[in-house]
Amino acid sequence: MQAAVPVGKSSALVFCDMAGTMRLFAQEGDLVASTVLREFVEHTGRLGREHHCLMIKFIFDSFLAAFDNINDVMPFVISIQNLLSTNPTFVGRVSGFHLSLHYGNVVFVETSYGSEVLGEAVNIVALLNEVARHLAQPYEIVVSQAALERMPGDFQARAGASESHQFKRVGNVEFRRVNLLGS
Amino acid sequence: MAASDAEPTPEIVTEAIVVVDLVESTLTSNLFGWYAVGRHSLRDLRSLVGEVGRIRGLRCMRSTGDGYLLTFYDPQSAEMAAIRAVEAVFELLRRIFVRNREVSEERALNLRCAVHLGEVDVVPNDREGPHISMAFRLEEISRASLPAALNPIPPEQFPLQNYVLCSEEVAGILSRRATHWELASIGLLKLKGFPGWREVFLVLPEAGDAKLAPALVNTMK
Repeated sequence: MQAAVPVGKSSALVFCDMAGTMRLFAQEGDLVASTVLREFVEHTGRLGREHHCLMIKFIFDSFLAAFDNINDVMPFVISIQNLLSTNPTFVGRVSGFHLSLHYGNVVFVETSYGSEVLGEAVNIVALLNEVARHLAQPYEIVVSQAALERMPGDFQARAGASESHQFKRVGNVEFRRVNLLGS
Repeated sequence: MAASDAEPTPEIVTEAIVVVDLVESTLTSNLFGWYAVGRHSLRDLRSLVGEVGRIRGLRCMRSTGDGYLLTFYDPQSAEMAAIRAVEAVFELLRRIFVRNREVSEERALNLRCAVHLGEVDVVPNDREGPHISMAFRLEEISRASLPAALNPIPPEQFPLQNYVLCSEEVAGILSRRATHWELASIGLLKLKGFPGWREVFLVLPEAGDAKLAPALVNTMK
């Protein structure tokens, strides 16, 4: 079988990490935690398709999603955030999501285990998620300057002050925290 | 009073931590017998580790059942301990390749190795602390880990045996102080019990090693 040719393109990348999963496993047990994770995968996967996500890669309690059009990203992120209050499995169990967004060049490849997205931009969005874990409020998403410049004006208006972080092997990355609740 | 309160506070040192694991040792012992093959393999490994480690600052050697936890110490420089540890691991692999050519197939040794550097508690004949756990997490990485990594190499490119993985900390030291070893990122991984993403590296032998042990280089490139 001939492997698909890797495709390089600029994309918006969203990284979402469920907060408090280890505590969930410890306090509620693996059956409940597994149910929560299954719901997480089902609903975020569905929302990804509804918002024209190019690919979504699930990694335990987190996912990486890629979008062609950055305008699709914030409606997707807000719909994910809404799951916390509307999905009965999540209510009272999931304390929040750590969210980050970056825009950059990536390569889409088909691998032996499915679709994969590669590139330094992937590292950046994952590292920004660490920033989100430590700095952001539950209603905020950490957005790189590269992504912010391409976002619709109404979301740009919600951005906080410019901040930056020095990452090993990546260098300095400028970002802002954007309020998902509006002004 | 907790039982641990009565014990003296352990010495804390920064050491290079190496986990060496025999590939398929349980399977080999079950197939060919512990007394016929398994115990000899482990004894040979222990002897070879002692030979390569003694002159490179090996301070602790503890059996893990199918391998060893080793730590290396350098009183002058913690970073040099990491370099000595990587040197020792490659020398161990070289000697194992030579040995494997001389013994029967079932007695061949094949290893998975991981190197990390960090502060550890020194307890008699052992080491404790999260950096020890980190070294074991690194050693557990396999082809099956890669689909859950970010920016992973294709799983088919990850060696099955006789390779050396290292943490970001060790990779940083090697890239600054020992450029004759090439480093190849295998991706960002989440390691059980540790927050955040960790970039993990494959340490490739220096080019000159191709003459000493072509199999080693071929396996790892």
